[in-house]
Amino acid sequence: MRALVSGFLAWCIGIAFSHAQNRTLLYDFYEIPQSLMVNPGVQTGFEWYAGVPLLSGTWTQGGSSGITVQDIFGNDGLDINEKIRQRAVYGMDPRDEFTGTFQVELLSGGFRGRNHPENFYSFGIYSEGDAITYWLGDLAVLAWDGNADQLGRQFDLSHLKTQGEMLNVFHFGINRQMNDRLTLGARGKIYSGIFDLRSARNDGYFVTVEGENNLLANTLDSDMRLQTSGLESLRRKLEDDGADQTAVVQNHILSRGFFGGDLGLGVDLGFSYQLNERLLLTGSLLDLGFMVHASDVRNFSLEGRATSEGVQIILPDALEDPDQNFWQDLVDEIEALIPFEEDASTYLALRPMKLYASVRYNTGGSGRPAEPCYCDYRTGNSSGNLPYRSAVGGQLFVINRPRGPRAALTAFYQRRIGNALALKATYTVDKFSLTRVGLGMNLQAGPVEFYLLADNLLAYGNLADAHFASLQFGLNILSWGRN
Amino acid sequence: MKKRVARFLGFWLFFLAIGCVEEQNFDQADDIAVVPEMEAAMLYMEAPEEVINEEPGLTFLSVTFDFLAFQEEFVAENILDGSLIYQLENTTSKPLRLSIEFLNDAGTLLDTETFTMDPAPTAILNREVVYGPAGKPMDILRNTVALRISGTNLGDTSSVSEAPEPKFVLRSTAKFRIQLQ
Repeated sequence: MRALVSGFLAWCIGIAFSHAQNRTLLYDFYEIPQSLMVNPGVQTGFEWYAGVPLLSGTWTQGGSSGITVQDIFGNDGLDINEKIRQRAVYGMDPRDEFTGTFQVELLSGGFRGRNHPENFYSFGIYSEGDAITYWLGDLAVLAWDGNADQLGRQFDLSHLKTQGEMLNVFHFGINRQMNDRLTLGARGKIYSGIFDLRSARNDGYFVTVEGENNLLANTLDSDMRLQTSGLESLRRKLEDDGADQTAVVQNHILSRGFFGGDLGLGVDLGFSYQLNERLLLTGSLLDLGFMVHASDVRNFSLEGRATSEGVQIILPDALEDPDQNFWQDLVDEIEALIPFEEDASTYLALRPMKLYASVRYNTGGSGRPAEPCYCDYRTGNSSGNLPYRSAVGGQLFVINRPRGPRAALTAFYQRRIGNALALKATYTVDKFSLTRVGLGMNLQAGPVEFYLLADNLLAYGNLADAHFASLQFGLNILSWGRN
Repeated sequence: MKKRVARFLGFWLFFLAIGCVEEQNFDQADDIAVVPEMEAAMLYMEAPEEVINEEPGLTFLSVTFDFLAFQEEFVAENILDGSLIYQLENTTSKPLRLSIEFLNDAGTLLDTETFTMDPAPTAILNREVVYGPAGKPMDILRNTVALRISGTNLGDTSSVSEAPEPKFVLRSTAKFRIQLQ
């Protein structure tokens, strides 16, 4: 149990602070080729680009809507058990979440069609991990205080909601400028699942009430399920005596991440629409897809309803069988009513779908013609010709999560400085923070392009007290013209 | 313009550069104590007066059965202290005695709890037996694998109480603190 408790704490803290899914700064930052990954219909002016393998796009993001590391582990002289009781067990809500995502591009590139220069093709492979766990709510109270003197209180088992996955994504996208105003994009994805763990559709309760016969009756009404894939074989290998654990994990990730594990399909869709020479509307829908978990699957379930008033000896019936084993009868009865079962049946999981939308007003325009040019691949042979000098706007982000959609609203200001530098500042409001300020920079020196995007900067003074942090960076070689 | 850019970049880099973590005391994790108090029904016994009267030897109940609630590895290793709470009710016309004996896996008697009840009308008997530092040794429960329950009629075998459905009832619960962390 110590391992379980430590494991849960590590899971929460690991989720929140090693790795949320909102790439606010990257969205519509179209000087950066990776903006195609959050809107395949973004306006592009590149001729081609090649990401530096493993360095073209690294992104890590974490959020905790309830507590921070500082709240629990701050060196404040307070008793840690009181801090946990007040700030977590009785201070958090089952809707509070610990969430995190990381993404590392293994391979990335793109090129404009030779015969159809209105098309820009992009492709690549990236590795992604995504995890979310909601605060355990009633289950945390049960674990912390127990059920004693809580007559009639139903401990809600649906408060257990968690899921996590790691996968490689192989993708190919087409971005097509339909006309002066409209750009559409689509990206097909093949998912190669490395591991998956989910327990998100639980229901039921545990309650203690006055018994019909005895002083108490304990009732468990459970509809709980944990589904896993890609973890059982890893566990077995790690348990082998003499196993090099690092090598085992590396081999497991490599073998399953390149079509040796689960498979899935998905698609990203996006558009940009120029309402007039200044106003731009964009939107995208990402990861409309699914994974079929069919390999190395191990599922656990606890389904049924049982009420116990303990061992019952009711005369004269109890004396009819002198060999009656009251204890075993009770255990057998409960196990028959709520069996704990394991299986290896295939399951299907939807990817966490994301929606982005933005409205953007371009102003200024270095060297920009008086008349709108809706600069594109035909006119924009240099990043300096992009149709704005500065821009302001708003963005909406929505992601589908186990407890329903989670949204974020962002206001942004973007500024180009010469041909080499573009900056973006954002202010975001979401469930993690009301004071999220982010800054991003894209720097181009000749064909070399580097970007660095950091969100929730105000929290960087003490990351331990941050409810949210995000960092992205990448290095590309690219051309805005035919070179 | 260049100065403004430089200021902007400086501001941004400043935030990244000062990105730091205030000193945390992770050693506090060693002090985390997750100690829930759990409560569950344990044993219920019911003997109607007519059944008691049918036993000429006056021992109307003698039964031994496995009781492994405290043998579960997790419970045995992590249970700290607690109590067994008994409630006895006698609406029969005769005095009665009930004993609960705690036996280990060799059948050795570890402890006995005895209750004596006057004939009805008599008050309900409530008893809480504490185990742990403030009571009986926890090892009694940790080593208990079976219970022997004996019921003895201390009166006659012919009288019948005027109470509706006269019977002798034992109710009990277990309430214990368990160290999870």
